[in-house]
Amino acid sequence: MALISVRSLTKRYPGGVTALDGLSVDIDRGIVGLVGSNGAGKSTLLKILLGLIDATSGTATVFDLDVATKGTDIRQFVGYMPEHDCLPPDASATDVVAHFALMSGLPKAAARERTAEVLRHVGLYEERYRAIGGYSTGMKQRVKLAQALVHDPRLLFLDEPTNGLDPAGRDEMLELIHRTGTEFGIATIVASHLLGEIERVCNFLVAIEGGKLLRAAPLGTFTEQTGFLAVEVEEGRDALAQHLAAAGLEAFVDGKVVVITLGDARPYDLVRDTVAELGLPLVRMEQRRHRLEDLFRDAPAGDGVWAPPPDLTAPTPPPPASSATPPS
Amino acid sequence: MTAPVSAGSPTGSIYDLGYRGYEGPRLGRGYAVRSLFSHSLRSTYGLGRGTRAKIAPFALAVLACGPSLGILVVLVFAARFGEQVSDVLGANLPGYDGMWSSTSAFVTLFCGAQAPELFGRDQRHGTLSLYFARALRRTDYTLARIFGFVTALVILQLLPQLILFVGRVLLSPDIVGAFGRDLPSFPAILGQAVLVGLLYGGVSMTIAAYTPRRAYAVAGIVAVFVIPGIVAAVITGLGSSAIGDWLVLISPSSVLDGTNAVLFGVPLNPDFPFAQRPDIAYFAAAGIGIVGSLVICLRRFLTISV
Repeated sequence: MALISVRSLTKRYPGGVTALDGLSVDIDRGIVGLVGSNGAGKSTLLKILLGLIDATSGTATVFDLDVATKGTDIRQFVGYMPEHDCLPPDASATDVVAHFALMSGLPKAAARERTAEVLRHVGLYEERYRAIGGYSTGMKQRVKLAQALVHDPRLLFLDEPTNGLDPAGRDEMLELIHRTGTEFGIATIVASHLLGEIERVCNFLVAIEGGKLLRAAPLGTFTEQTGFLAVEVEEGRDALAQHLAAAGLEAFVDGKVVVITLGDARPYDLVRDTVAELGLPLVRMEQRRHRLEDLFRDAPAGDGVWAPPPDLTAPTPPPPASSATPPS
Repeated sequence: MTAPVSAGSPTGSIYDLGYRGYEGPRLGRGYAVRSLFSHSLRSTYGLGRGTRAKIAPFALAVLACGPSLGILVVLVFAARFGEQVSDVLGANLPGYDGMWSSTSAFVTLFCGAQAPELFGRDQRHGTLSLYFARALRRTDYTLARIFGFVTALVILQLLPQLILFVGRVLLSPDIVGAFGRDLPSFPAILGQAVLVGLLYGGVSMTIAAYTPRRAYAVAGIVAVFVIPGIVAAVITGLGSSAIGDWLVLISPSSVLDGTNAVLFGVPLNPDFPFAQRPDIAYFAAAGIGIVGSLVICLRRFLTISV
């Protein structure tokens, strides 16, 4: 059996919001990215798997235990890092993490030892004795990760772990997640709306949208898409787009930038030369990060000037959910 | 795995041994509940937290011990001036039965100040989801927190009584005799302390559970213990009436006045004999209050979304 098995899971909140709509997926060991835009049902799925909320219908098992009836047994071996703030500001990191080690059933001495170890692992040293209220967002995120790891879980749920972090903080957090998942073999599920981040640490992706499964597949099949090149010029965007189109590229104006669809070719020189030829003030050229919206939307969110080729919106036909198993 | 820690280690001799697994025992749900119980009891008195968290509970505990310390001083002077302690004791000094009425104000303030510390903080800071994501169940969390607070209140009740007991026995010329004389009061002392703890603890924790904002919770708790008592006193003062005589039971403090009188076997409120209800009524009212508040409080945490 898979580590996590979800069958026809539906969750309707009072008030009529359907967060999950007949979701079925199997998830196995590894670092699994759970991607979807805001409101896609990521947090709801994690909370149901933890037994924090009940599903409206359908079943889910973790470690082959039913989440509806065996929640306490499951949670002993699961670590959870919530999306929101969850730390009392007047306590120190050591106090909080040690307390939650006890709450996970660790004896006092072991709780103290594990707290010191796990705080060192996430990179908190002297500051761990100070009140959390004075911590930066990055440090708070580390404490949140530490409390999820302190009881050495078999399975780790991280809900938007890079929320509120600056680029350096994001890199460090992703590196930590990667180390935790690979070196120590803790199965990890990372929920995020940023595909660009998740693809750096995960080896398997589960994409959900509107409470339904879009795709569950190894990471590679998601990132075969080549993406776009965005060229920002201060003026003459239309002229640039026309010239590039004349040169055989798929180019269109999107707001302040000219977007070029990248095929197998890497037309950077051509773009540079065209800009120089037209004498346009070039601000930047960047490869657009994959965003979920780019990969999964049916139509571009822009002004409708351009419609992406069909192979971009519908990548490869989604495999049947039940056969989705990542390499472990 | 043995890369030296570069930044933030001034000694340079600390080595990162990397993450290690934990193979030791996992003591499970019962252990987690017991740990949360003792954590709640300790945090009620600010133990394991900063100095500021200790000021209010310790100050109120000292104040609650004030009456018995005062009696102790009188007894010391009496013994010094050669008077028989038993004579002084006979001369209208409050005994164990008077402790509830002389400390109830401090108990009320203690509830108002400390109950929101337990339930309010967890809700304000979003910490509930960390508890519910562990080996605990929602009911476990709620009951461990409540009974930790109840135990703290029982200790707050027993402390002044213990001081009084020690003073009365040790300052008596006949220590063994005094011990034998005071010992039979113990069941009443304990019974009243537990009832106060359960009723005041249950009601104040329920209000704190529904009022995450601390200021409102403090006001609500104090109001629930004070206002019905005033209402009951006013109605009683107006004279006997069919409904008014029973209204005294809406006030937690009056109910506990009643249980106190019954347990210690002393007359209650001799000025208003008509306001005296049957003995069992006080215990029934206390029981309804305790069970009711527990049910309402459990409901809160069973339905709260995290």
